[in-house]
Amino acid sequence: MINRLRQKFDAKWMAIAAAVGILVLFVVLPMLYLIWRSVFIDGAFNFATYKQVYAQSANWKAFANTFYISLVVTFVSIAISFPLAWLVGRTDLPGKGFFRTTFIASYMIPPYVGAIAWTQLLNPSVGYLNEWLVSVFKLSKAPFDIYGMGGLIWCLTLFYSPFAFITISRALEKMDPSLEEASRVAGASPLVTLWRVTLPLMFPSIIAGGVLVFIGVGSAFGIPAIIGMPAQIEVLTTRIVTYVYLGTGKGIRDATALAVSLMIAANFVLYASTWLLTRKDYVTISGKSTRPNLVELRGWKWPLTFLVSLYGFVAIFLPLASIAVTSLIKSLSRPISLDNLTIDAWLAALKNDQYMTPLWTSFVTGAAAATVATAIAVFIAYLLVKTRMRGRTIPDGLATLGGATPSIVIALALIITFSGEFGLNLYNTFGILIVAYMVKYLTMAVRTIAASLSQVHSSLEEAALNSGATWLQSLRDIMLPLIGPSIVAGWFLVFMPSFYELTMSIILYGSQTKTIGVLLYELQTYADPQDASVLAVIILIIILVGNIILRKVSKGAIGI
Amino acid sequence: MAEIILQSVSKHFGEVKAVDNFVATVGDGEFVSILGPSGCGKTTMLRMVAGFEKPTAGEIYIGDRLVSSPAKGIFVPPEKRSIGMVFQSYAVWPHMSVFDNVGYPLKIKGLPKTEIADRTNTALDLVHLNGLAQRLPSQLSGGQQQRVALARALVAEPDLLLLDEPLSNLDAKLRESMRFEIKELQKKLGVTVIYVTHDQAEAMAMSDRIVVMNAGVIQQIGNPVDVYETPANKTIADFIGLVNFLTAEAGEGGVAVPALGRTVPAPSGLTGKAVAAVRPEQIALAAPGTGIAGTVIHKSYLGDAVDWRIEVGGETVRVIAPAAAFREIGAGQNIGLVVDKIMIFPA
Repeated sequence: MINRLRQKFDAKWMAIAAAVGILVLFVVLPMLYLIWRSVFIDGAFNFATYKQVYAQSANWKAFANTFYISLVVTFVSIAISFPLAWLVGRTDLPGKGFFRTTFIASYMIPPYVGAIAWTQLLNPSVGYLNEWLVSVFKLSKAPFDIYGMGGLIWCLTLFYSPFAFITISRALEKMDPSLEEASRVAGASPLVTLWRVTLPLMFPSIIAGGVLVFIGVGSAFGIPAIIGMPAQIEVLTTRIVTYVYLGTGKGIRDATALAVSLMIAANFVLYASTWLLTRKDYVTISGKSTRPNLVELRGWKWPLTFLVSLYGFVAIFLPLASIAVTSLIKSLSRPISLDNLTIDAWLAALKNDQYMTPLWTSFVTGAAAATVATAIAVFIAYLLVKTRMRGRTIPDGLATLGGATPSIVIALALIITFSGEFGLNLYNTFGILIVAYMVKYLTMAVRTIAASLSQVHSSLEEAALNSGATWLQSLRDIMLPLIGPSIVAGWFLVFMPSFYELTMSIILYGSQTKTIGVLLYELQTYADPQDASVLAVIILIIILVGNIILRKVSKGAIGI
Repeated sequence: MAEIILQSVSKHFGEVKAVDNFVATVGDGEFVSILGPSGCGKTTMLRMVAGFEKPTAGEIYIGDRLVSSPAKGIFVPPEKRSIGMVFQSYAVWPHMSVFDNVGYPLKIKGLPKTEIADRTNTALDLVHLNGLAQRLPSQLSGGQQQRVALARALVAEPDLLLLDEPLSNLDAKLRESMRFEIKELQKKLGVTVIYVTHDQAEAMAMSDRIVVMNAGVIQQIGNPVDVYETPANKTIADFIGLVNFLTAEAGEGGVAVPALGRTVPAPSGLTGKAVAAVRPEQIALAAPGTGIAGTVIHKSYLGDAVDWRIEVGGETVRVIAPAAAFREIGAGQNIGLVVDKIMIFPA
C-alpha cells in the first residue's frame, strides 16, 4: 500500500515538475533575461539604452501612436459591440442567431488577411470599393484612402472588436434574465432597464472586453505593418521589428528597450483592470434558466436589421469577397466579371514550392506546438483543478502570463535568450517557432482543459484509485477519456492561431523555416496581391475546417 | 387591489401545449397557489400574468383592465401592469444597495426623494430589514436577499403580487418560517397573491385556494382541505401527500376492496377495475385479532412517529402511527388495522 502510494505520487510529481520546468525555461527565463538585458550594459545597471531610445522622436511618436490608436479602437469597439451584443441577445431582431455566429466567426480571420483585403478595397487608385463609389456617385476622385490613420483605426476596429463582442455577449448570456424582468415589473421600460440594470451589470465584462481589445491592438503587428507603415505611421511593434531587422547589436538593444516598455504598458493595463474588476465583483444566485424576455423593437426592427446587416456585410463579407475575387481575377485593371476570372493563379500557386513549403512549415510547427502545449496543459490543469497542492496556481499563472504578453515581446525574449547564451541555440530553427507558439497560446489549452476537468467530480478518480489503479492508470482510463473532447479542442485552439501566426514568426523565421504568415506578408509588401489572395484563401479554408472539427468535437461549446 | 380573471388562457409552442385552456378567477385579496410538478406549465402561466409571455389564446384581466388578449390584439407590457413579483433567484440587483433595490419601483415612478425614502423604509420595516439599508446584496444571506425581493415587490403597493417558487432556494427551517411570514404580510396588506410552487406543504399552509396543474391543464381547483381529502383524480391523490393504492373492483352493490375486505359505495358511473386510495395517517393500528388482520413486514422509527409496512390480503400498505403505539410488535408478527377513509378512482 505504502509502496503504491509512493509510486502514485512520484509519477504525479514528476509529470507536474516537468511541465513546470518547461514553463520556467521558456517563459520565466526569457522574460527576465529580456528585462535584464535592457537595463544592464556590460554587467552594470544602466538606463542608457532607454535614454537613447526615447531620445529619438520617432520612438516617442511610435509609443504615442500605439497608445492613441489602442485607446480609440477600444472605445469604438465597445461602442459597436455592446449595442450589437444587446440586439443579438435581448431583442427580437430577425436573424440574430446568424448575426451572432457571424460576428463571433470574424474572430477567425487573421488580422493581416483583413488588412490585405482592405488595401484591395480602399486603395486610393485601384480599390474595388473606391471604384464602385466613384462610378455610382460620379465622384471625381476616390473617396477613401486606406493608407492613413483613419484607415488603420478602421481596419483594427473591424478585426479586434470581436474580442469585445464575444466577451460582452457571453456575459449577457450568462446573466440571470430575471434581474432584468424584476426591473420591468417594477415599472421600468425596456430602455430604462437597459440603462439602469443591464448596462451597470455588464460593466465588468465591458471593461474586460475593452482590455482585450486594448492589449490586442497595442500588440498588433499585421495591420499596422500593412496599412500603417506605407503611410509612415509607426507603432511600437513595427519599430521593434525594424530594429531587429537592422541585425546589429545596437538594433537588438533598442528593440529590447521598446519591447520592455510595451510589456510594462500591457501589464499595467491588465493589472489595473483586474484591480478595478475585483472591486466590483457581482455574484448572483441564479435560478432556473428562463429564456430571456425579448425586447420588441417594433418600428425600429427593420431599420436596425438593416444597420446590423450592413455592418456584417462591410465588416466580414466585403473583405472575404475581395480576397476571393482577387485570387481569381485575370486582369486587375479590368472590371470584375465572369470572363475576367480564372483559376490560373491557383494552379500556379499550388505547384509553386516556394509557396507550398511555408504552408507545410506552418502546418508542422503549428501541430508540434499544439501537441506539446496540450500535453503540458493537461498537467497544469490537473494541478490547478484537482489538487490542493501549495502553489498549484503558479503554472497556470505562468501560462496566462505567456498569453498576456505581447507576441513581439515573447519573440524578442526568445531570440536573445536562445541564441546560445544559455547553451541552447534555437536561432533560425523550427524549435524556436514551436516554443514561441507554445508560450503564446498554451493558456488557451489550459483554460479549455481546466474547465472540462472541473466538471469531472474527483470521486470518479478516487473510485479508480480505490479499485487499485495507479495515478497514471486512472489518468489514462478515467480522466483522459472523460476530458477527451476538451483535449482535442485545446489542441485546435493552439494549432489554429499558431498556423497563421505572423508577429512572432516575422522575427523568428530563418531561410529554411519561413512560415505561411511571413510569406503572405512578403507577397503583400512586394505587391503580388493575387498570390497573396490565393494563399489567404487557403489559410481561411484551413481555419474554417479546423473550426468545424472543433465545434463537432466540443458539441458546439467551443469555437475559436 | 384587484380581482384576476384568467379566461381560457393558452400558451402553445407549435404542437406543445405548455398551458391549455386555463380558466380561473382569483378574488380580490385572495391567496391562490398554482401547484404542480416541474414542467406542468405553472411558471408559464404566472409569466403570462406578469406579461413576460404572450398567451396564444384567451384573456387576462387584472382588476377591470384587460391586459392580454391575442384575439383583440391587446398586450400590456410588464411595466404597465402594476404588479409586484418575487423571482426564484430573488433577482436582487448586485450593483445597488438594499435601499436602492427596494426603492427602485418608486424611483421609476418619479416620486419625490423624501417620499421614496419614507416608503422604502416602511417596506424594509415590513420585512424586518431595517438597519441593513446601505448593505450591498453580496453582504446578505439568502434569506435576507429574499426579504429584499419581497420588499421591492411590495413597496409600490401593487394590485397583485406574483411569487415564483420564492422559497425553493432557502434551507428547510427558514422556508417554514418564511411561509408564515409571507402569509401574515398578505393578510396585513390585503394584496391579491398568485403563488407558484411544486411543494404541496407550502401551498396548503398558505393558500386560500389551490389550482392543481398537470401537463398544462388544470386538474382541480379547491381549498387545501378539498384538494387533500377529496382529490379529483388518482394523479392528484398521488401528487399531494402520501397514499396507498390498492386494487379494487366496482360491481353491483359498490366497490370491493379485497385487501381490506371492505365494500364501499361506488362513485357514479364507475364499473370494472378501480383503485382504492388510503392515506397512511388515515389507518389506525389495533391489537392483533381486532380490525383487519395484517402482518408486519418492516417498521422504521422516525422519532415522532413510526412508519409501518404491513401486509394485508396480499398487498402492502404503509401506515404512519404515533411512536408509542405497539412498541412490542415487530416484523413477522400479526397486527390489526382500522381504516377510516377510502377514496375510489377509476383504474
